Amino acid sequence: MNRFSLVAAFAFVSASSALAQGALSTEGLGYPAGGISARAEGAGSGVADFDALSLTSPAAIAGVGSAAIYFQYSPEFRRVTTPGGHANTTTARFPVVLGVLPMGQSWTLGLSSSTFLDRSLETSLQRKEVIGADTDTVMVTERNNVLGAINDIRLALAWSGGPAFRIGVGGHIFAGSNRIRLSQLYPDSSKYISNAQIGRISYAGLAASVGLEYHPSRAIGFALAARKGGDLRAESGDTAIGSGRLPDHYSGSITFEGLPGTVISARLAHDSWSSLSTLSSSGLQAFDGWDGGLGIEASGPRLLQRIITVRAGARFRTLPFGQPNATASQVCTPAGFCTDVQFQSGSAKVSERSFAAGLGIPLTRDRAALDVSFQRATRDAGTDVKERGFILSFGLRVSP
Amino acid sequence: MKLSSILPRLAISAALFVSISSCSENLDSSGACDVLCPSIGGSVQTVTIDAVVLDTTVQSLSGLGTEPALLLANRGDSLDTRVVIRFDSLPAKFVPKNDTSQDIKSVDSAYILLRLDTLDIKGADVVTIEAYDVDTTANDTSTADVLALFRPDRFISSQTYARSQLTDSLKYYIDNATVLSKLQNGQHLRVGLRATGTSSSQLVFFSVEGGQSPVMFFRATPDTATAPLTVTPFSKTPANESIVAQHLSDYTIIAKGPPEAPPSVLSVGGLPPRRIYVHFDIPSKIIDSSTVVRATLLLNQIPNNSLDPRDTIRVVPQVVLAGPAVTDPSKAAQIIANISADTLKITAGHGGNVDVELANAFNLWRTQKPDTLPRAIVLKSAVEGTSPIEMRFSSSEDISALRPRLRISYTTRVPLGLP
Repeated sequence: MNRFSLVAAFAFVSASSALAQGALSTEGLGYPAGGISARAEGAGSGVADFDALSLTSPAAIAGVGSAAIYFQYSPEFRRVTTPGGHANTTTARFPVVLGVLPMGQSWTLGLSSSTFLDRSLETSLQRKEVIGADTDTVMVTERNNVLGAINDIRLALAWSGGPAFRIGVGGHIFAGSNRIRLSQLYPDSSKYISNAQIGRISYAGLAASVGLEYHPSRAIGFALAARKGGDLRAESGDTAIGSGRLPDHYSGSITFEGLPGTVISARLAHDSWSSLSTLSSSGLQAFDGWDGGLGIEASGPRLLQRIITVRAGARFRTLPFGQPNATASQVCTPAGFCTDVQFQSGSAKVSERSFAAGLGIPLTRDRAALDVSFQRATRDAGTDVKERGFILSFGLRVSP
Repeated sequence: MKLSSILPRLAISAALFVSISSCSENLDSSGACDVLCPSIGGSVQTVTIDAVVLDTTVQSLSGLGTEPALLLANRGDSLDTRVVIRFDSLPAKFVPKNDTSQDIKSVDSAYILLRLDTLDIKGADVVTIEAYDVDTTANDTSTADVLALFRPDRFISSQTYARSQLTDSLKYYIDNATVLSKLQNGQHLRVGLRATGTSSSQLVFFSVEGGQSPVMFFRATPDTATAPLTVTPFSKTPANESIVAQHLSDYTIIAKGPPEAPPSVLSVGGLPPRRIYVHFDIPSKIIDSSTVVRATLLLNQIPNNSLDPRDTIRVVPQVVLAGPAVTDPSKAAQIIANISADTLKITAGHGGNVDVELANAFNLWRTQKPDTLPRAIVLKSAVEGTSPIEMRFSSSEDISALRPRLRISYTTRVPLGLP
């Protein structure tokens, strides 16, 4: 660079974009609910790859013990804060449904459905529009409502060669839909015609997964899991409107049970979310991301003749879809000559940190169990938009 | 460690409460929309096109007596209208109190109760209303024949009212002997009312169609203990056409109407009432491939100062429902439907631009092809037949700048789907 020149570069982040959808966590194709059970959520997801009720590793179902069905309800209470205001929302999710059936001493079959990407959002925006004569302005209310999700339906088979080793494979069908309603509402029905457009996108894709668990001793265990994604197609009616590749997923976990009545676990996973970037009509940017969790689970107080399990944990992960932004830069000389401002659009990664706690309550002589977890998640993209979520999860396992 | 039994109950109650309260979703993130919700809908484009292929003034053919009010006007050379009320069925008997039915041998205190629209009274001075016997064996729907009956030998009675006496229930006393003669001879009592006086006057009475018909009262006996008899308007002619006969039970006839607009000018309202018929040719790409959010017919109003130029009249746009088989605009202009609860309020003396909103017509046209439902509208007065005021507009025969045009604001449909 010429020594007489001066680089005056600047950047700004403008959160507005045609892609933004009212919250950091619902950008793009939606929020990844994660497919982990209330038990694993309470322990910061560290125990997920060892947990038969979580869907991250097909090997884990071999540890279920007896036939079980599991159902989970996870409402999220979210607050999004921007410089101009805030929004409080409640999203009801049913992220995991699972049935597990041991077949003999070694084999276990599991059928499950989990929420892969939840795209539930509603925004309402008012804007001034000139309609008709040049002086005729009217406030238009633009309401955007999207409901639906992509779900991961998994059929898993696991083999257990004893308490030390388990291995499992899973076949996944990713299916779901988004129902979209865009309404433009005008205040005076005698002058203006309010209108609504309704659309529906269907998704379909396949993936396969494998997982293994190894417990070299009673005190320590290791787990590895991987999922290989196939194509994910999006259709509107009979028309293909886009395709991408389901993200590959890898995870490794470790547990330590050296302290009596206590399980300490840690997990690190990687998701190749960027393979979904092509599934976009507007240059949506998805980011590969790490998902790390650490948690502890311990036998707690006795309650009504039952031993309560208490859990706590923390989790950090990168959400797949960034917050759209734009940057601008300009180079100027000391004499004041500047280049044109260069605009560049992009996205800012959204990270999520969460702290969790939970309880495990055995019911009806251990034929059923209720897991309750509470997560406090904060999400930000390095901008002035902040998001905070409280996620409650209630998981009920019943062994018929 | 053993917890008391209160704690688990509290925990379970709290969990249940939270579960139930979160069952109803609230996804609305509008509060964060200053940053996170940019506009998704397409921008609005506005075009102004010469879409009028036919515009013409047609007569309102709804028929004599269909108007919801009766106009009695005496405005010198500008306007002269009369009111006819038919009492073709008069009672011949009555029942005195505590007695049996008897023939009517006397008539006392006969009057017609007229429901006057006091908001539409014109003329500050006294008004005299004369009544004539307009029963005839000639063509009883011929304006000329009926008007010819307003002559001295048909005179029944006269009553003069000061301005302060013009209340919403106006009693018009009629000659008792005439009523008695008609009922005893089994004749029709058809009363023609005419306003006279030294100054202009204009009164509007509600009609049978308006829901408050004139009613005649009289006593058949001087004994006030016996209730007076009431007679409502009724027409026996034309025979076998009950609907037409019902309309003719009371109606307005125009002895002299205000001057009509020139043929090259579009006019709405007036007496006899007229409507404007406008047929459009709208590019199908606008209706079929985009979303129309506003449509406005741009008219140039020509001042008409002949009668009440400062009075406001409501003009109602209507969509024509007549199919292509109805090629006569005057007939098509009768097969219409309302498209808006709103009306256009204009004064006859006003000149310049007038915007007629047609958004709701486009809502209908979007669902029907032009070969099923022509893109045509009608402009009619909300007080059609009861107000002499006429609004005038430039037609497509006028110079380019003054012709009717159509301004359409529309958006292209936004592809919904992937983010």
